[in-house]
Amino acid sequence: MMWSTFKKIIIFLGAFIFLCFYPGYTQNKYEKNIERYKTFWNRLIPSHTKIQFAGSMGLISIGPGWDYGKKQKWESDILIGFVPKYSSSKAKMTFTFKQNFIPWNKKISNYFSFNPLTTSIYLNSVLNNKFWNKNPERYPKGYYTFSTKIRINLSLGQRLSFNIQEAQRKKIKAFSIFYELGTNDIYLISKLNNKYLKAKDYLGLSFGIKIQIL
Amino acid sequence: MKKLIILLNILIFCFGCELIDIHPYDVHVTGDTNINTNNVKRIEKLCSKKNIFSFAVIGDTQRNYDETEEFVKQINQRNDIDFVIHAGDISDFGITHEFIWMRDILNKLSMPYVALIGNHDCLGNGQESYNTIFGAENFAFSVGNTRIICLNTNALEFDYSHPVPDFTFIENELEHLDPNIEKTIFVMHVKPYDEQFNNNIAKAFQYTITSFPNVQFCVHAHNHRIEINDVFNDGILYYGSGCIKERNYLVFTITPEQYYYDVVYF
Repeated sequence: MMWSTFKKIIIFLGAFIFLCFYPGYTQNKYEKNIERYKTFWNRLIPSHTKIQFAGSMGLISIGPGWDYGKKQKWESDILIGFVPKYSSSKAKMTFTFKQNFIPWNKKISNYFSFNPLTTSIYLNSVLNNKFWNKNPERYPKGYYTFSTKIRINLSLGQRLSFNIQEAQRKKIKAFSIFYELGTNDIYLISKLNNKYLKAKDYLGLSFGIKIQIL
Repeated sequence: MKKLIILLNILIFCFGCELIDIHPYDVHVTGDTNINTNNVKRIEKLCSKKNIFSFAVIGDTQRNYDETEEFVKQINQRNDIDFVIHAGDISDFGITHEFIWMRDILNKLSMPYVALIGNHDCLGNGQESYNTIFGAENFAFSVGNTRIICLNTNALEFDYSHPVPDFTFIENELEHLDPNIEKTIFVMHVKPYDEQFNNNIAKAFQYTITSFPNVQFCVHAHNHRIEINDVFNDGILYYGSGCIKERNYLVFTITPEQYYYDVVYF
């Protein structure tokens, strides 16, 4: 009786150990899925961080971003901006989703490269309850035809990058400085039919740093 | 090449100070502030000994910068206007720059001016820009024996979070009215029974304002058309100014015996 129980346990354990290390069908699929799952989320690891000054989204905005596409010509950024109080009652935060397309990359030397043109479109939203996207209910239907919360911005710029040589890299792969000249839907509409408004009125200059990690 | 780019960047930075836009609604005000407060003092001083005076009324300048500039040029050529009242809707979206752009155009007027708050000026945090650049939403001043009371009547914008029209202000005005005041004129952006007005208290509003000495008339803007309405059928006329885009303005002349008005096209 004892012996048969012991034998059963041995067989059971043996089978268990065998199943554990046997590259069986079920585990293989799981591992494959896990690998796929990890690759998917790995791709979502931001490849750079940007810090931008001005640009109609705050005094300073910071956030992660991704480079992708053929020759890394495309970039997406998520930025959180800070608008100081100035003469208003309180400081504001803004959220920006920025999409960039950088058509050319000119290598100047082993260390420097230059983008003669960067093009960007970005949506900026003020995180403050005084601002709305759709007319609040108190208004008659279609009273105001625009959003006070979300601005569509367009900008063009240039960028200079410093590439750290592989042997010297610690945490950063490269860093870039850039400037952009941009405007938004409201400034553009205001300019229409108005000679009075000059470029300095409806264009905005901004500067930034891109820290390339991956 | 590298040096050139760096130099270019420095140059852009130097030229850029005026170009830098933090945010459309940043209320980052440069230049003149408290326009109404300062100009009210100027008006009162300039007109202190006058028993006949004229003022022009414009409204709804919004995105019409060129037309407003043209208006300033035209009226500067006249020498019979003592001051100008902008009856509200200085801006279209309530963004800070719009108030600054308009202020810079109106600052070229050779006579003092005051500007009221319109419904568009309340959008976003436009009210804060208005308060900084122009002053309080409700204000009053005296021209000789006439009291001109300017009121915020854009009730719909405030959703009952703010008293609009502000009866405390109106009653305070009445209580502390100089005994020399013999006539009153009211200016507002929205007249009673327009959709912006708090129409539940329209009659109470009229009752309160008619308790002022000898109300001459009321002036408003908002409807983008020249109109004259006896809103309450009590003989007090509400004059509506057109939108500056239509290139016209109203001129009121107050004499000891009567008043008259003109519509001027330019």
